[in-house]
Amino acid sequence: MTTLPLQGVRVADFGQIIAIPHTAQMLAWLGAEVILIETEQRLTTRIWPPFAEAEPGVNRSGGFNLVNSSKMSCTLNLREPEGMALARRIISVSDVVLENYSSGAMERMGLGYEAVREIRPDVVYLSLGAFGRTGPMKDLVGFHSVINLFSGLASVTGHKGSHPRIMGGLFPDAFSGSYCMLALLEALHHRAKTGEGQYIEVAMTEALATILPEAVMEYTLDGTEPERVGNNHKDKCPHNVFRCQGDENWVAISVENDAQFQALAQTANNPGWAKDPRFATAEARLQHRDELDRLVQQWTQELQVWDVVESLQGAKVPAGPVLDSAQVLADPHMVERGFVRSPDHPEVGPRPMGGFAWGVDGGPIGEPRGAPLLGEHNRKVLQDLLQVPDDEYERLTASGVIG
Amino acid sequence: MFAMFNEGALSGLKVVELTDQVAGSFCARLLGDAGADVVKIEPPDGDRHRRNGPFPGGVPDPECSGLFLYLNSNKRGLSLNIEAPDGWAAFLNLVAAADFLVLGQESLEIERLGLRRERLSDSNPGLIVTAITPFGLSGPNSAYLGDELIAISAGGMAYATPGIPDGVRDPASEPPLRSNTHMAGYLAGVQGAVASVASLMSRTIQGTGCEIDLSMQEAVAAVMPFELAHASYHQAKPRKPGIFGVMPNTYLPCKDGYVVVMAIMEAHWRNLMDLAGNPDWSGLEVFSSAVERARNWDALEPLLLEWTMDHTGAEIAQLAQDRGIPCFPAYTVGQMVDSAHVTERGFMFDLTGPGGQKFKLPGYPVRMERTPWRLSRPAPRLGEHTSEVLTEWLGYSADQLLSVETR
Repeated sequence: MTTLPLQGVRVADFGQIIAIPHTAQMLAWLGAEVILIETEQRLTTRIWPPFAEAEPGVNRSGGFNLVNSSKMSCTLNLREPEGMALARRIISVSDVVLENYSSGAMERMGLGYEAVREIRPDVVYLSLGAFGRTGPMKDLVGFHSVINLFSGLASVTGHKGSHPRIMGGLFPDAFSGSYCMLALLEALHHRAKTGEGQYIEVAMTEALATILPEAVMEYTLDGTEPERVGNNHKDKCPHNVFRCQGDENWVAISVENDAQFQALAQTANNPGWAKDPRFATAEARLQHRDELDRLVQQWTQELQVWDVVESLQGAKVPAGPVLDSAQVLADPHMVERGFVRSPDHPEVGPRPMGGFAWGVDGGPIGEPRGAPLLGEHNRKVLQDLLQVPDDEYERLTASGVIG
Repeated sequence: MFAMFNEGALSGLKVVELTDQVAGSFCARLLGDAGADVVKIEPPDGDRHRRNGPFPGGVPDPECSGLFLYLNSNKRGLSLNIEAPDGWAAFLNLVAAADFLVLGQESLEIERLGLRRERLSDSNPGLIVTAITPFGLSGPNSAYLGDELIAISAGGMAYATPGIPDGVRDPASEPPLRSNTHMAGYLAGVQGAVASVASLMSRTIQGTGCEIDLSMQEAVAAVMPFELAHASYHQAKPRKPGIFGVMPNTYLPCKDGYVVVMAIMEAHWRNLMDLAGNPDWSGLEVFSSAVERARNWDALEPLLLEWTMDHTGAEIAQLAQDRGIPCFPAYTVGQMVDSAHVTERGFMFDLTGPGGQKFKLPGYPVRMERTPWRLSRPAPRLGEHTSEVLTEWLGYSADQLLSVETR
């Protein structure tokens, strides 16, 4: 991708917390000029940990900086009519407007789709809601945990006989954000062909439900609710994470067929496993799952994670390390591929972060820039782009409209 | 016939799909959802998901596996043995006529079959190849085999589960965990579609296609900005509650199950304390900010539990949501499906099995004003469109069709 596809596309980012900020960051990585509109009056992720070296500061939050890289920051107090007027002027020169406030908030500010279309007729306008913008639960508020619980995803996650659990990461935000990205790119492609913009609405709860087709089908066929099965799989065995040497070190092993199981038995210096009638076929292995898991763990617990991974992969058995987040950022494979990026930042220096899960023609996409300092681009946006005169800019800053 | 009425954003574009994985199948379906003409190439014995189920009535039938039906709507289906000369020639001809080739295999299989873009693009410089593999096409671990469990583990998500705001009480007895879904596959599928459309826009500018190298491991790692931020900015988080650094943002038992209580913004916290009857401890200095409440969580948790254990999850959610506090009880899949919200939004779509069994599958989570999603056609029967597509795309004669179909 020698030419980034969104060069020349300007985005007004009214994103809150993670989901839309993360989406807008992906747009910025693809070359869009993203203007994050924020205010000193109401800071969220900027004042939440983790801070660089645990020292608080509005420009020091990893939670903010890792979902706002490559953007510009413009601080406007939208409670002030003049702040709102400036926001409308930014929109009037933007191709895309993104928001994930609670339902109706943009409309109450006079920045709903209909109002925005008056000032930017070909705008691509996307609203992401926890529960969407229609329906009896549209006004409910929720972060990733609420989405996990409503969608039923938590109910299919958990150890056998134990309670529902919430997956690590911010899957609801990032996954619904990926659907947003797809819709935005499609809408921009459509606009390039036809000249027309459009309104897009995405519900985080529905995005999550799209990964549950089997459970939805079974429930609607005969009322069956899925059981929690830990790391077990209905067809594969062994299929689990196993302890290795040291504290909190684990390896994941997933055996799909008899050939892989025989290779596992050989690699573990236990060729007898493959001849044992308890384990000879997939069906038998599933029936004796707990015994087999215990045997495999007796083997792995004496070894280092990567030794197990390399020996099993060498024998064509699917295996992988259970990495923690520090190990992800330091993983030589992902670093070499360019997934791990380290854009510089004036206050906290270069910090590793994850980029796109994909590269093109052998290389990563573009070169991300560090997240903006609070209000870093006020002059660039308001004076260079909107041509606000110097004296006016000073007056608006002094009166708190800018800020 | 159906395709004529579809005015999706990608209408007029052609996609060839060769994969037996969730990620590649879902990626291609999303392109079909947007109006592209997607042809799925299956081996003569069919895609593996035809054998996955669930099946209406519990009777295995390759034409009505739920997972297959879901992953392959809005596509046409071809059955080709690409390892036989005529099948391979037909495959190459289809790829030469296509805008996208979507692949989802292990990277060694892509190499073995000769599916790298450099071997396919001479006759079609605009071709965009979207290759979704367990660890990517390049890098020291690119030859590794993988699946859903391996991706969730090597991408960092299993270790991070249970995640914010949940946490393990006893790390020794609760190993890292996956969700019993194809989460990594769907993630990689949506990102694959994003990469494909982004590359289409680049093609419009620069005139040539490209090869997209998407790693399932990285698709998983990319959904953990907060976990990565902890490692990058301070220290990696241990697997225990309170890890977010601000509280309450937690998963608590209540009278009839579990409920998420989140009140990290000060307005939410004050409203929550109102609901709990403003107990004496609510004004204590040790609970005066979200960060203080995280630091003193061991003291705060039992106090909050006194309140949650007095109420059902539904009561807590109702009381809290009325005051704008993001709380919710743990739903089952059935509660979600049957909710008035899902019903009124018309999210699920209805299907009928061969024995008249009625069931539902999830619909599309994006509503687009000008280029709306449509279910234009159901998933294909095995080989249903082989001659139709070879004739329509390539102008194959009856003799050519016969030689492809019998080998």
